[in-house]
Amino acid sequence: MHTLTSHRKLILLGGLVIIIGLLITLVGQVVAATTPQPTTQASQMHPAFPLLDANKQNVLTSRQPLSTNKTCGACHDTAFITTHSFHSDLGFSESKAAGQVKEGRVWDTSTGLYGKWNPLTYRYLSPDGDAHIDLTAIDWLKLNAARVVGGGPAEKAAGVEMNCFLCHFTKPNNTERVAAIQSGDFAWANTAVLLGTGIVEKSGAQYQFVPNAFDSRGELQRAFITIQDPSNANCAQCHGIVHDAPNPLTITGRDLTQWQTATTGQIVSPQKISQSGMNLSDKAKLTRAWDVHAERGLQCVDCHYALNNPILAQTNAKVQPDHILFDPRRLDISEYLQKPSHQFARGQSAQFTVAADLKGTMRRCESCHETSQTHSWLPYTQQHINKVACETCHIPQVYAPAVQSVDWTVLTAKGEPVMEWRGVEGNSNSLNDLITGYAPVLMPRKTIDGKTTIAPYNLVTAWYWMYDSQDGARPVCLEDLKTIYFEKVFSGCSKLARIRSIEDLKGTFTEAEAYRADIVQALDTNGDKTLVAAELKLDTPAKVAAIADRLRALGLSNPRLASEVQPYSINHNIARGDYAIRECAACHSNNSRLTQSISLATGGPANVSSQFVKDANTKTDGVIAKDGSTLRYSPSPENIYIFGHNRVSWIDWFGVIAVLGVLIGVTTHGGLRFYTSLKMKNHHAPAVKQVYMYAVYERFWHWLQTFTILLLIFTGLVIHRPDMFGIFSFAYIVMMHNVLAAILVINAALSLFYHLASGEIQQFIPRPYGFFDQAILQAKFYVQGIFTHAPHPFEKTPQKKLNPLQQITYFGILNVLLPLQVITGALMWGVQSFPQISAWLGGLPFLAPFHSLVAWSFAAFIIAHVYLTTTGHDPLANIKAMMMGWDEINETMNNEAMNNADG
Amino acid sequence: MKNARTWIGGLIATLAVIILPILWYSPKPVEARDNPRANLPQRKTHVSHVDLMKGPYTTGQEVTVACLNCHPDAAKQVMKTSHWTWESEPFTVEGRPEPVTIGKINQLNNFCISAQGNQKRCATCHVGYGWEEGNAKANLTKAENVDCLVCHAQSGYAKDAYGNPAKTVNLSIAPLDQNERAPDKRVGTNLTPAAQSVAAPTRQQCGACHFNGGGGNAVKHGDLDESLYYPAAETDIHMGKYNLQCTDCHTTKDHAIKGKLVADNYTIKPAEQVACTNCHSSDLHSDKRLNAHTQAVACQTCHIPSMATKDPTKVYWDWSTSGQTDKKDDHFTYLKIKGSFEYATNVQPEYIWFNGNLSYRYLLGDKIDPNKPTYINQPAGSIKDPNAKIFPFKLHVAKQPYDTGYNYILAPITAGPDGYWTTFDWNSAFKLAEQRMGLKYSGKYSFAETLMYWPTTHMVQPKENAVQCNACHSNNGRLNWQELGYPGDPMEWGGRMANGK
Repeated sequence: MHTLTSHRKLILLGGLVIIIGLLITLVGQVVAATTPQPTTQASQMHPAFPLLDANKQNVLTSRQPLSTNKTCGACHDTAFITTHSFHSDLGFSESKAAGQVKEGRVWDTSTGLYGKWNPLTYRYLSPDGDAHIDLTAIDWLKLNAARVVGGGPAEKAAGVEMNCFLCHFTKPNNTERVAAIQSGDFAWANTAVLLGTGIVEKSGAQYQFVPNAFDSRGELQRAFITIQDPSNANCAQCHGIVHDAPNPLTITGRDLTQWQTATTGQIVSPQKISQSGMNLSDKAKLTRAWDVHAERGLQCVDCHYALNNPILAQTNAKVQPDHILFDPRRLDISEYLQKPSHQFARGQSAQFTVAADLKGTMRRCESCHETSQTHSWLPYTQQHINKVACETCHIPQVYAPAVQSVDWTVLTAKGEPVMEWRGVEGNSNSLNDLITGYAPVLMPRKTIDGKTTIAPYNLVTAWYWMYDSQDGARPVCLEDLKTIYFEKVFSGCSKLARIRSIEDLKGTFTEAEAYRADIVQALDTNGDKTLVAAELKLDTPAKVAAIADRLRALGLSNPRLASEVQPYSINHNIARGDYAIRECAACHSNNSRLTQSISLATGGPANVSSQFVKDANTKTDGVIAKDGSTLRYSPSPENIYIFGHNRVSWIDWFGVIAVLGVLIGVTTHGGLRFYTSLKMKNHHAPAVKQVYMYAVYERFWHWLQTFTILLLIFTGLVIHRPDMFGIFSFAYIVMMHNVLAAILVINAALSLFYHLASGEIQQFIPRPYGFFDQAILQAKFYVQGIFTHAPHPFEKTPQKKLNPLQQITYFGILNVLLPLQVITGALMWGVQSFPQISAWLGGLPFLAPFHSLVAWSFAAFIIAHVYLTTTGHDPLANIKAMMMGWDEINETMNNEAMNNADG
Repeated sequence: MKNARTWIGGLIATLAVIILPILWYSPKPVEARDNPRANLPQRKTHVSHVDLMKGPYTTGQEVTVACLNCHPDAAKQVMKTSHWTWESEPFTVEGRPEPVTIGKINQLNNFCISAQGNQKRCATCHVGYGWEEGNAKANLTKAENVDCLVCHAQSGYAKDAYGNPAKTVNLSIAPLDQNERAPDKRVGTNLTPAAQSVAAPTRQQCGACHFNGGGGNAVKHGDLDESLYYPAAETDIHMGKYNLQCTDCHTTKDHAIKGKLVADNYTIKPAEQVACTNCHSSDLHSDKRLNAHTQAVACQTCHIPSMATKDPTKVYWDWSTSGQTDKKDDHFTYLKIKGSFEYATNVQPEYIWFNGNLSYRYLLGDKIDPNKPTYINQPAGSIKDPNAKIFPFKLHVAKQPYDTGYNYILAPITAGPDGYWTTFDWNSAFKLAEQRMGLKYSGKYSFAETLMYWPTTHMVQPKENAVQCNACHSNNGRLNWQELGYPGDPMEWGGRMANGK
């Protein structure tokens, strides 16, 4: 019995052991199965490598934070990379003393993010030696963590190395990296970026390396090496919204952490706008992609490539001799991989004074696109392409909200500035707001090669308080500003060393703070003892003075308002031709796109005028002015004459008056003739005889010239005022005008030859002897004799067809007006083929109005000319003669006239 | 007179000197890259049959006889078509001893499996009358059994059991005019007015069956459903914007309708198939790169970005869960008689090489490997086949019964008093099939996964909606280049022609 029980016990025990063993195995397997797996496809080429700490020890054993400089530096020259990267440097190495930055603000210390103030972020890196400190280098790093990749100032101030993984891993964890920096955990920031890749885990606040991600030699397993060329998503982490996924894009925008999108409204996505999930007006029609280059599979780095990338590097055109088309002597791929420059090709857009040495290193549109064939429908193609940036027509509208203005002269209850956004209706900051998009303003951009092209921009207006500190002018620091606005006590700016939390640095409150009573009293317009959004503006001098007094009371000397307008260039979100601006009238009309104004703000304080920043490469020759309650910028590009838009009003007035004057004159004259002829009914017609007056060729060239001139005047008028002749195709009329002009010139030349060769030219040359007497005689006839049916003082004969007045008139027209019109016209036509000659003569802004003036004169002359043809024996006689060749002349007067002519 | 003539001549000459140069420099009208309209057939003028079909008619056959008075060859013509025979012409196929035919009459699919399993209802879409179980031989030889009305009656006609005229118009099968939907008009099919309404078939008649393939709207095809009765331009550019009828492309001669379905045909001669290039030029894109695509990519691939844009189509059918009593019936997820389903809208097609033919069609009795999905049909083509193009398909996945003894797919009799839908007993359904169809049943069954390809070729969307470069040429693009046989994205690696392959 006993043995049996112990036997049973044994069996039970054995069973238990087996069950526990199985359980352990099972749990082990489950645990093994739940260890992090690589989230993305491994890169095929990159060799396996260990993660090293700052002492080059494997982090698996040292448990120290990894060092990207040491880890990647095992093969790549990380020192070279860090020092050849504006992304890392951010202006740090070129820092200057405050006030020394060319065309910068007084408190700017560089042209990059490290030291250049931006009113959107407001807080400034305090120049060395300042008594009042707004941001220390550490503060700056925390505040800008989302836009700083490490190295440069970040490495100097906090030891944060350049983060290779942020741009080269498929799915880096930027949120965690930023959080680590912001919490002051600088050492682990570059480790934190690997959280979620399966390589790093976090328990509590501690980062740990996952042993399963490494092989027995301590190197990362293949599956975890997801190293790649930076994808659009990598760039997007700092630069703006990129959307590659097939699901509909939805953004509410209005988020300064998406810097490019917030400042311009640019979104890089291959998705069709109509298929996005945004609440866009007219969305169904927007069947274009957000960005055609994204749609066509281009990556950011395809244009913004590493400058020494042997595949894409361009030889400097300035040093490339003309006889060499391609220089194959390039870096070997292995040399490049060891020392890849991290200076990236860039354009030369206005807002970025950053990396000025790299301006224009990128291939621009015309480097890849052949434009002459695709734009052959566009008259004066080259002229358009020279003067107008491709983006102007190919970014007709931007379809996301962009910052319009930021007002730091007041603070909202949450400690934020008052901001306005363009391209959106509604303030819910949700998908319910209607996104209308906005048409960028067009401004002339000065390129590095000295040209000026018109390009699209967003304009951001900012207002803020300045004061004179003992170190020079500074913006009122945020803590001082909060001190005067809120009940809560703030430490203020001081030289005291202190470590501030990111919440302090950001300066915004999670809950609305109470305004000080004196502030409420000063700003409370409607008297309800509280401040609502509409009251948050210093729109009267009294309110401005009230805030200034409080700043003064805080010890700030000479507090004053300042305002600046910053242009932000728009170069992405390109639409392909079908969706670009194609209508001539978009620019060649009264409401020309080129001079279309843009709103700057509806709010903003009183008593301060906004100025463009000095360091933008745009020409800002327009006007900033209030239109009702809205502040607007109206561009008025100088030295540009746009047909159909520009005109010199006095010339048009003069022309209209001249034409009307002649019309009135001839009508009066004709009326009087008619009246007198009624009175002298029984005036008997003189005997006449038929004379062959005009040879066939004379008639032909006359009528050909008639038609061409009439059509030239008409087509010219359409080009001058296309808004009055909307039914005509502008481009077609321009072509007609040019062809007609060519016919006119050829006809004039042939006719000149005819008249020279035949000697008929004499008819047009007034003979000096007795000319004035004869002219007076003829004039007298027109003012007296004609009404009494007196005979013509100089009867027309085939030998002398023109009377003295005609001679002097034609002499003037043919020798002065016609040549002037031909020359100015030819120069206008030639602005794209021989622009220098036109430029000598003042270019289009002079030539075009002059051409109009002469055209008006021609119009006036034609009216008089046609009227005077009716002064023959009967009103139609002369016209008939010019048509048929045969004229009737007064038999009795004939000899006398001939004598006169001879004499 | 002479003067006047000279003068007119001179005027003309003068104006010519002005006008001719202007015309010379005028922009030349861009020649249209193609004119697809010119290739559409001329529609025949409608002849009203109101006075020709006096009636009264009490049976469908009486109507047919009346039709044949004037159209004596019509029935003979129809009886040659697969609309009547439900069977393809015989194909000689490598690996099969005898020529084979495919059709509803003898084969199966992975939806309702077999038409013979439910002759009563399936015959509703046969162009004939009175085709009852087992009487194919007798029925298919009688000319008066041809149902003229199913294709030609424009109103008031619907079919019911065994293809006979419905006693009551079934609204779910035949869409009717608004006034015919009125309850008082729904008393039954009145053959006389139906016969008087005959005209050339429109989308309403073709759609009554083809939009309801698989037994309901949008079940079988992802690209043919009831949204095409009155389509918007974005649903189907041809039928929506241009109001094309089915027969504008599926041109018909002697009742033989052009266009064949690859599910039921081993090979299809190009002349027998409808192609985009019947009307459109193949190099009509303004971008050369797109025209180069037509060497390897079917028009449909880019121009039908997704199927079932309006009505959901069935993508998965699991017969094994049928017969459960605790589940609630729902058209889109579960029916006790049929099992569980998945429906989807805006379905992105599957893309494979396709030369227009099949490389394999499952025929009754073919052995399967139950551990692997069985292809009911396998479109033919590969990267090496110069006639093959990357073509979009709807892939329908099913779990359907197979005989574990014989290792072939079973075809249950579903309808009738002894059918599965009454008894919910698979064994009796298979035994009944053994009697009727001769498909031996070992007594043991299980369920195996099957795949069936359905070409996506209708519901061409406006060109603005065509997929753009990035849809395929990107990291998460639609095409799996390696699976298609490319070394990598041909945008970077070059196309199959570029490599000289």
